[in-house]
This record gives sequence, structure tokens and C-alpha cells, in this order.
Amino acid sequence: MRLSAAIAALIAVSIGETCASKDASHNGEALFALKVFPLLNSKCFACHGQEKEKVKAQLVLTSRKAMLAGGESKKPGFIPGSPMRSPIYLAVTRKHEPDWSAMPPKQNDRLTKDQVQSLSQWITLGAPWPDEQTRAKYTALERSKPRTADGLLIQTSGGLSEEWTYRRYQPKDLWAFQPIKKVTKPMNAENPIDAFILHKLEQSGVKPAPQAHFRTLAKRAYYNLTGLPPTPFEIYQFRLQWDKDQSTAWSNLINKLLASPHYGERWGQHWLDIVRYSDTGGYSNDYERSNAWRYRDYVIRAFNSDKPYSDFVIEQIAGDELWKMQPAKQRDPELLIASSFLRMGPWDPAMVKVPQARQIYLDDVVNAVGQTFLSTTMRCFKCHDHKFDPLPTRDYYRMYAAFAGTQLAERPAPFLKEENVSGFEKGRSMTQKMLDFATSRFEAIYNKQESAASAWFTAHGKDYMDERSRRNLPDEEKPPRHVGLSPEETGRKKVREQDKWIWNRRMERYKPMVQGVYNGPDPKSLNARSMRMPKSTPKGAPSPIHILMGGSLEAPGEKVSPGVLSGMGIPSSTDSADPYKLTKSLHGRRLGLAKWIVDPRNTITARSIINRVWQHHFGRALAGNPNNFGAKGGKPTHPALLDWLASDFMENGWQLKRLHRMIMTSSTYRQSGQHPDISMLRTMDPENKLFAYRSPRRLTAEELRDSLLKTTGELNPMAGGLPVYPEINMEVALQPRMIQFSIAPAYQPSRLPGQRNRRSIYAYRTRGQPDPFLELFNQPNPNDSCEERDSTSVSPQALTLLNSQIMTDRSIALAMRVEKEFDTLHLQVKRAVQLALGRVPSKTEWDSLKKYVLKMEIYHGKHQPVPVTYPRSIIRSLVEEFTGQPFQYKEILPVFDDYVPDRRPADVNPKTRALADLCLLLFNSNEFIYVY
Amino acid sequence: MFTDMNPFHCGRREYLYGLGSSLGALAMTDLLAGETISPLAPKKPMHQPSAKAVIMLFMEGGPSQVDTFDPKPRLNERHKLESKRSAGLATGFRFYVGSPFKSRKVGQSGLDMSDQWIHLPEVADELCNYRGCQAESLNHPEALFHMNTGSRLGSDPALGAWANYGLGSTNQNLPGYIVMSELALPQGGSRNWSNGFLPAHFQGTRLRPEGSPILDLHPPAHKTRQHQRQALDQLSQLNELHAKKHPHHRDLAARMESYELAYRMQAEVPGVMDLKGESEATREAYGMNQKHTEKFGTQCLMARRLVEKGVRFVQIFSGGWDSHDYLERGHSSRIRSVDKPMTALIKDLKQRGMLDDTLVIWTGEFGRTPDNNRRGGVYSLGRGHNIDAMTMLLAGGGVKKGAVVGATDEIGATATEVVHPIRDLHVTILHLLGLDDNSLTYFHGGRYKQLSQFGGKVISELIA
Repeated sequence: MRLSAAIAALIAVSIGETCASKDASHNGEALFALKVFPLLNSKCFACHGQEKEKVKAQLVLTSRKAMLAGGESKKPGFIPGSPMRSPIYLAVTRKHEPDWSAMPPKQNDRLTKDQVQSLSQWITLGAPWPDEQTRAKYTALERSKPRTADGLLIQTSGGLSEEWTYRRYQPKDLWAFQPIKKVTKPMNAENPIDAFILHKLEQSGVKPAPQAHFRTLAKRAYYNLTGLPPTPFEIYQFRLQWDKDQSTAWSNLINKLLASPHYGERWGQHWLDIVRYSDTGGYSNDYERSNAWRYRDYVIRAFNSDKPYSDFVIEQIAGDELWKMQPAKQRDPELLIASSFLRMGPWDPAMVKVPQARQIYLDDVVNAVGQTFLSTTMRCFKCHDHKFDPLPTRDYYRMYAAFAGTQLAERPAPFLKEENVSGFEKGRSMTQKMLDFATSRFEAIYNKQESAASAWFTAHGKDYMDERSRRNLPDEEKPPRHVGLSPEETGRKKVREQDKWIWNRRMERYKPMVQGVYNGPDPKSLNARSMRMPKSTPKGAPSPIHILMGGSLEAPGEKVSPGVLSGMGIPSSTDSADPYKLTKSLHGRRLGLAKWIVDPRNTITARSIINRVWQHHFGRALAGNPNNFGAKGGKPTHPALLDWLASDFMENGWQLKRLHRMIMTSSTYRQSGQHPDISMLRTMDPENKLFAYRSPRRLTAEELRDSLLKTTGELNPMAGGLPVYPEINMEVALQPRMIQFSIAPAYQPSRLPGQRNRRSIYAYRTRGQPDPFLELFNQPNPNDSCEERDSTSVSPQALTLLNSQIMTDRSIALAMRVEKEFDTLHLQVKRAVQLALGRVPSKTEWDSLKKYVLKMEIYHGKHQPVPVTYPRSIIRSLVEEFTGQPFQYKEILPVFDDYVPDRRPADVNPKTRALADLCLLLFNSNEFIYVY
Repeated sequence: MFTDMNPFHCGRREYLYGLGSSLGALAMTDLLAGETISPLAPKKPMHQPSAKAVIMLFMEGGPSQVDTFDPKPRLNERHKLESKRSAGLATGFRFYVGSPFKSRKVGQSGLDMSDQWIHLPEVADELCNYRGCQAESLNHPEALFHMNTGSRLGSDPALGAWANYGLGSTNQNLPGYIVMSELALPQGGSRNWSNGFLPAHFQGTRLRPEGSPILDLHPPAHKTRQHQRQALDQLSQLNELHAKKHPHHRDLAARMESYELAYRMQAEVPGVMDLKGESEATREAYGMNQKHTEKFGTQCLMARRLVEKGVRFVQIFSGGWDSHDYLERGHSSRIRSVDKPMTALIKDLKQRGMLDDTLVIWTGEFGRTPDNNRRGGVYSLGRGHNIDAMTMLLAGGGVKKGAVVGATDEIGATATEVVHPIRDLHVTILHLLGLDDNSLTYFHGGRYKQLSQFGGKVISELIA
């Protein structure tokens, strides 16, 4: 499939200079061979070809003569030299109906503008129809030229068709497949980033915005690096330094924040968005992924310790393989934890056969690796060669083969001393309570059934056999199914059984295990309820991998061996016959892939992470789609800058903290959101692609919740460990949620405020039940990789921020805090504004807010709130799956036996409630929710 | 502590959108409400529509075609005989299951309906029974996602979200896409009415069957509406001062407007939800006076009221159709719970002249098999999941009346005529709404995405 330069050169000589030098658009024969014939072949011949029975409208288009003869219209298919009188041309324009029906009939098959143009030009040039041999010569000549007016030729491992293999690409679409260039800074500037940004601004005749106010800068830095607002005191400290020496103050601040443990929480969250972190597996059962949190903490640790990105990549893709290579006694469990990355996608093999379940997993993991590390949406070339990028479907399956032996298991891995294992005892006893309840209820019903069964056996003069052992007896020889049980009890039995699975599974989160992988052949059966390492070392080869035509297991094509993406031309092997191969042995496939990904010559990896970091600092990526660098993704606005940063990043040890420093100390980063020429810029650069000024952003869901807790002083900054359960809307917490055969257990918040009021990244994430507050503020769906958060303002957000119990609680907490700190309303109002907004109120504001509180004090004197109560159990109602009969059962909520709620309106006096009204407004204000 | 900073330090500059310098909350409302700025503002359809609104009755679990609208006498002949069909994952001995119900021809059009349908025959001549649709996923959540969002992954926008994206909503005080369900969410939960990658405005809003119909719709009991108004006025003062400091920031106005819309919704939603004004005759007709139809009846009546108020897309999820066993009891009880309410809904829409441009769809996520495997070691009279054949009803909105479209084989195992995948059904629904699936696209993740994923066909046989 690969080009052979020698053959091409030979053909070039035989065709001769005249043709070769002529542009195809002036040479009808060349045009026909290169453009027109292929389009006729792919778009027309299926219905207007040689096979008589299939020919539509009696029109055959496979020769010039047949085309001239025309079809049932009795008109010639074309008039040489005159496209506008040629039916075949008029038909493909799709603009001459009903005279000439639009062709091809399907809208989706329509010709591109270029194709229509080629057809027209060919007719204009007299519609020559060279024979096959001549056409072949033109084609060979064309293929010998790496670059023509039609674009670049890219060598890959080969497409499913010759057309694809030899198609051409526009250089601008290929930027991500071309080497990262060593560029020099276009002008002198203290900070290299400024050199590129200012240069482009200068070229566009735009001045950069001035530096932002110091307070704006402080807030910006705190939020961008830690996801939390600065306290008024921290702003004050910063200001003291700033007044002495701005640049020292600023770099000190950045260093301080990068050293904060909250830095890893903030940047870890960005990573978890991409990898789709969740504590459950999704689909019908939504089983808990016990100990998934260890991966979450690994990510946070990696950011905090500034682990080189290259190591971060390798550990996530092949941590278990590295672990296996370590001396037996020195194996580092951290590496197994890292490999949980390969377990992040939603997956459950219920109701699916093993090969399909494996395919679902492999498709998911291949796509995840592509999007995460290579900014390549792999799904796009699973069923066919990529429509736009030099990514043959063969490469999809070669990368798929790299994971063919990757099997899923909960693997033993001792807890590290860095890991937070607090709360295990309490958690275990709570889970045990739930499990005991389910077990006792199940057994009661089971025993009732079995005593009826036993009676049946006695009555029939047979020996008793329990449910399991009588399963395969013929119907006549055993009691009816669910004997002795009412439909109601039948339903309950199933629910309790499911509960037993669920709580048993949750007991596992206290065991030293990770959601890991191992290398081995496909297991015979799969059940997400329990995925264990095989007892003995797995032997045997991974399943052979074929190109699956149309992505279907039923249509295996050519067999492929493990390999990497060939389109960027970076070898993964020294074997010149197949430079893109990976090992075929069971172990080391993923390690080879990972090493290729972080090969400094890889054209995407460094660009990909730089682009993501840039996006989170500026709200807009340099290349518009961080998960898709292909032709259809957004092109980089500053390609040279991206390359410069990427080279610099790799040369200096792939370290992100260094990159943050470089970005944040630039004057570009410190710009104000206000620009003197804003009206002109709005027209000229509506999306601010020039980075001429700062674009504000709304807080993310987690930042919003964390900021509320920080402001009220309730935030427990403890890092890591078991997932925590914040209070969520109680209606949602208790609302029944269907899972396979049953209703999922109710959401029970953590018992103590200190346990609940942890940072949001530590909250339990269930695929089937998002936290309604976080979801409302656009926390992404963990089934899909999120490259950029949405931040739309919708009315339900307003309703929740004004009316929810969570917000009421926060407002009371802040009111109580300022009451504790200051005696007079005057100072309380000031303090509340200061804590929430990081500044003191203006005189006008201050007066107006004070008046408001006084007015509300009168109001609250007349309106007594209702105390909030918690249910200790709940009655569930379910339609029995098999019978359609409704039944009820009881679910216990033991956390509320000794629950410590937050302070509620009914617990405080009208004065505090009035002050809380003010606090609520501050939390609702635009100033609170936007970062400038 | 330092005290500097007057909020006016930036000086006065152009105000938001340059609209003047003293925009109060109310003025803001008026200015934005009529503007195309709102993504929910009504938009022109792409071609002449035959339906303006959709009511989708979603029978979660997968209703059985042969026990509802597609009778198979040949199947009944094979009752309890061994079946050699391979079906999904089921292994072991399989046997055919005849329908426990008798079927009969109803209406002038002679539609087939099992005898469990007592009321529906009254509107038979309004219905179009489609038998050619095929699903792709054997598992409930994926199949639900597929029928609702066109993709089994559960992360794409729902049909209702696309409809609102394409057409907007004629009532700016209500969400354009409303979902009602059992107390329990269907499998897959809110992903079934997700906005996916479309802006959040297009997400389905679930009217909760108990408690507050929309989460946090109302303030805690000790805060009155007037209290809320005062809070909003005070908030808008704060926001105005802030906006003066940030004249460049264009999202501020939209966010302020979202608060005003929230305030209007607080008044509007309870009004629509309040069924007190409905006559006794209406309540009776919808089955609201009987226990087994009360819930679905109330939701059907609500659906009619919502569509009347300009809501574009209403969905009702009704569960329990997954009859693997005890088919007779199960399906009979499910049919009874929806029969009377949906009959009333269609009659009511017709009587009000709304049926012509309201499309009603009754469907599940897939169909059921003609045979079953032994469960718990006994002959269990039920049916498995079937992706090769299913049945659905359509009414109003420009579809054929009193018609059967498509067919299944002699035992109802596989669709054989007018066979189409789910995406074609989606394309057809969009078409009836005046939308072209190929043009209704949204740029996301580097490409223009559409409901059908990669294009589909209009099922012209369904269209009147």
C-alpha cells in the first residue's frame, strides 16, 4: 500500500514533461483521471453502472459513449464544452429540479463543491475519456508528488481503499500531524508568551489591555490555581507586598498557590473531567467501583508533586506493566492505582455476551486514550477510514490490539502512607448495618418460601431440596416458583437480594484494592459485580484482533497486530518493515504505546497538554477543541506559540508548575477585562482570539460550592480518602431511582457537618444520580469526556441559588459567622460583603444593604420558619418487574438516627435570619459568581 | 484591614449593550423577552410543519407487540412448544408463549387491539399503528437512551431538546421541554431528557410527581412571594452597581434576566399544575377518579394543558412493561393503567382542535420476543427483550389515521415490512415538526452533530 518513489519516478518519465507540468485543471484527461472518474466511480456507478438489473432511469455512465447516449430522458448526458446544458452537471448541482432530479438522490451523498466544479470543468474542456491505462499513468504520476495544488500526501499504514490511501490533505488541516517546530520568539519581551501574543496584536494593530487591578489579579490567581477565593486577609497581605514591588508580590503569590495542596484539587478536577471520573460503573446496575477514589487521589498527588507529565501518561496507560517489571519486594502500589485510568469509562457487561462486552470496553478505552492524551477522537475511524484526518481504520484496530490483553480486575494494592484512610471504621459499621438489614429481610422471606417448599415436598412424598438444588428439576417434580409468597413478597425478595449485592460490594471499599487491569486472555464470563484477578497467573494469548468492517464483530476483515498511529510518521519500533508496530507478546503492548505517546517527536502529546493548561488559564484554548486536533477541530490561533511552549515544556522535564509560572507571570495573563477599544474589538475579533483583553468566566459547579463553604468558614480542607456525601436536595436524595431489578438505595448524607463540608472533588459521584446542585451548574456527565465546561445561565440555577435548603444553610452560616466576629449591624454588613466579595462595600451599597437587613428583621419577626426534620426510614413503592403488580417495602436510613444537621432558619432568631437574607443575596450576586 | 475602593472608581461607561444607564429589573425583562437573544424564542420551522408539539407516552420496559396491537394466531398455535430461535443472551431450553389475550378488530379502520384495551377502540380511527421499527440495544438503559437521544451512550441531546433547539418555545415563562415520570426515574435517569452538548436551556425539565414540581421552585415556607420580590430588587441593585464596574461583561444581563424568568416561572408553573379548574367530567374521562389510572391520567391531562400553554415537547414515562414472567397479569395491569387516560387525551385534543397539530406517540424502548426461556427452572409465561420487532402508536400531527404501517413475521419476531431503525423514526418526527434532520445540526467536538448521528430517512408511509 505504501508509495514507491522509484515506480513513481519511472512513470513520470514515460508520461513526459508536457502533461506533468500542466495543471490538471487545464488538462481534461488528467482532470478526468484524477477527479472525475473517481467521483463517477464512488457516487454514480452503483445505480448507473454495468449491472443491467440495477441501472436506474436507463442511464449508464460508465463510458463516454453511454453517457452521451443518455437515459430515459432521451437527452445526451452532457454537451461537450457546455456544462449549463449538460444534464449530468445540472443534476449534481441539485438546483435544477424538477427538470433534473438532484443526484445522487441522498442529501448526505451530495457532491462537494470541488467535485461539482471538477465535473463542470471537465465538460468545458470537452469531456475527454482516456482509457484505463492512460488513467493509471496519470494516477501514478499524481501519487509520486508529495505536494500538489490539491494538498499533501500523507503516508499511513494504509486505508481500506486506494482512494483513501492516496487522498490529499490541506496543510492547514494537518497541523497536529506535523512536527513540533523549533520556533524563535518573534520579538523581544521579558516573557516568551508575551512575545508571541504582543507580536500578533501588533500585527493586527491592536493594543493589549492594561494590567488588571491587584484585587482582580489576586482573585484570578486563587481561583485558577486552587479553585477557592482568597480570604480578605490574604488579599490584604498580597496588597502590602504589591505596593512594595508588584512583580515580586505576584510571583510570590503564584509560588505560594502552586505549593498549596488545593492546587492539585483544582487541576486534578480538570483531569477528572477529561477521564470521566465516577465512583460507579454506570448502566443498569451502576455498581460501585470500590476504591475508585484512590485514582482520584493519585491524580491530585501527581499535580501537587509536579510529576512530569510524561510519567503521568505512562503510569496511567501502563502502570501495571511497570509494576510487574519492578523487583517483587519493591513494587509500588501507586503504579497500580494509576492504571485505574483504564477503568474510568462506564461499563457493565450485563445482558451482553463476552465478545460484545469486550468490544464495548475496548472501543471505550481506545477512544479514552486517544481523546485524553492525543486529542484525537478515535471513534471517528472505528467503522471506516477517517473522513478528514490521516487516520486509517487499520490504525484504530492496531491501537485496539494494544489493549486486546487488557483485562479488568479489582486488584490487591496496599494503602500508601500518603493515602487518607480515615473514617474506615465508621463507614464499615454503617455499611454493615445496611447489609445486615437487607440480609435479615431477605432471609425472612426466603425462609417463608422454603417452609412452603418443604411442605410441598412432604405432601408429594419427596425429600426437601433447597431453591438452588431444585432449580433444574422438571416443573412437575418441584414446588412452583416463589411458592408460599404473595406477589408483594416476591418483589421484596428480589429487592433485598439486590440490596445484599450492593452493600456487600460497598464493604469492599475498605479493602486495599484498586480498580485495576492485568494482562491475560479474555475471561469466560464477566460480571461487573465482582471482577477479580484469576487465581493463577493468566496464560495464553490475547484474542486476535481484526479490522472490524463497519465496526461490527460479525464482519471481521484483515487481521492486525498491535501498533500506533502511523499518520504522524513517528515510529514506535526500529523494524523498518513495520515501524509503527508494538510488541505482540502479552506484556508490554501498553507500555510501548505509552512510550510512543511521550516520545518527544510525537507531534500531538505536548501540544495537547499545553493547550489544555492554556484553556484553563484563559478560558479559551489555543486550538479550539482540546479533545480533537483533527481537520474538524478548531485550528490554533497562535500555532507558533503552541509549538514554542511545547518544545520548551519537553526540554524542561514536562513540568506543569513551570508552565503555570510562565503563563501567569506574562502580561497577557495579567490583563484587565476592560479594553479602551472594546467596540472595535467586538467587531474585529468577537471571540477575543487575539487575547487582547481578559475574558471573565463563571465559577464552575465545584468552585461555586467550595467558595460558599470557604466564605462561611465551614469548609473542611482535609485532603483525599473515602468519598464524602454532601447534603443534596433531600427530595432528590430520597427519590427512587430504577436500577436492574430494583430501586437504588437512597442517598444518605455524611453524618457530621465536617464530613459533609469537604471540597466537592471528594464528593461521591454516581453515574446514575448526579448531585442536582453541581449538575445544575454544569458539572459534566461522567459518561463523556469533557473538554470544556458549559457555563450557561438558566433559570433553574436562580431558583436553586435563591430557594434551596443548601443555600439557606450557607446564608445562615455566614450570618452567624459575621455575628460572632462583629457586634454591630454596621460592621456585620461590611464583614459579610468583605468575606463574600473580597472588598468592602461602597457607602451607597453599605447603606442600602443595612436598610435591607433592618427591613427583613421586621419581616422575620412576623414569619416563623418550620423546623426541618429527617426521615429515619422510607417506604418504597415499586411495580414488580415480572408481574406488573405494585408492591411496597421499607428502606432504613440509619444516618439520620444521630444526624447533626447544619444550623437552620428555625434555629436562629429573626435578626440572624435577616442578616442571612443579605448573605443569600451576596451569594446570588454576579460579582460572587464571576471571576475577572 | 484596608478600606479603599469606591465601586464607581471605574467611572461610568457604556452600559450593557449600550441600552442606557438605568435599567431596572423590569425594564430588562421587557427588553430581552422579545429579543431573539433568548435561545428559547420561537424560531421559524425549516418547512411547512404538520405538528407544532409532541406528546410522547413512553412505556418503559418494552411493551409486547403481540399482546397489544399486532396479534399472531400462528404463535398461539405453538404455545409452550420448543423454540429454536436464538435470542440475545438467553441460553437453555426456550419455548413459545402464545398471547394470553384475545385480539379483535376495532374502529371503522379495523385496527387490531387485544381485548385488554377497553377504551382505546373509541379513538382507533385516529391512530396509526407502526410495526416496522427496530431497536439496537437489548439492555434497558441503552435502549432508552437510544429511543430518547438517538444514541445509546447516554450523553447526547434528547429528541425534545433538539425540537426546542430547532423551534424554540412559544411560552417564555415555561420550559419548552417537560418530562413527567413515575416517582422513580426510568433507567438511565435524567440522561434520557438531557440537553447533551446543546446549551443547557434545552434540557428537559422534570415535573416531579410529589413535592415541588420543579426543584426549589419556591422559597422556604417562611418566605413569601413579596419577600422574594424585595430580595430580587435588592439583588438587582447589587448587580447594577457591579455591571457599571464591568461594562464589558456581556453575560451579566443574561444572568439577571434568568432571575426574572425564574420569578415568572414561580407564578406560571403552579397555575398549569393546578387542576382544580378542570371539570368533574374531565377528571372522570382521564381516569383520575380511579386508583389504577389516577397517576397516568393526571399526567395526560397535564400534558394537554402544557401543550395548550405552548410547551413544545412533553414526555410521560410509565414503567413496569418488562414482563419476563406473569405476562398476563403484568401486561393486563399496565394496559389498564394507560388505556383510559390516553384515550381521553386523544379525544380531548381532538375536541379542542389540537390533535391536528399535536403529535402523540406511544412507544417503548424495544419490543418483546415470541418465546421465553425457563426462569428459576420453570415454564415462565413471559417474554424477553426484542430489538428486531416492536410496536408503536402515533396519532395526530400529520400522520395517517386508522392505519397499520409495516408488518412483522408470522410470530411477531422480526419486522418484515417498512423496516426502519430508530433514527428514521426520529427523522420523521423532526420532519413532522418542520425540521430537517440534516440541517438541524450543532457544532460540537469538532463536527456538526445531528439527532440521527449520520443522517436517516423520513418514513413516508407514516405520513398522511
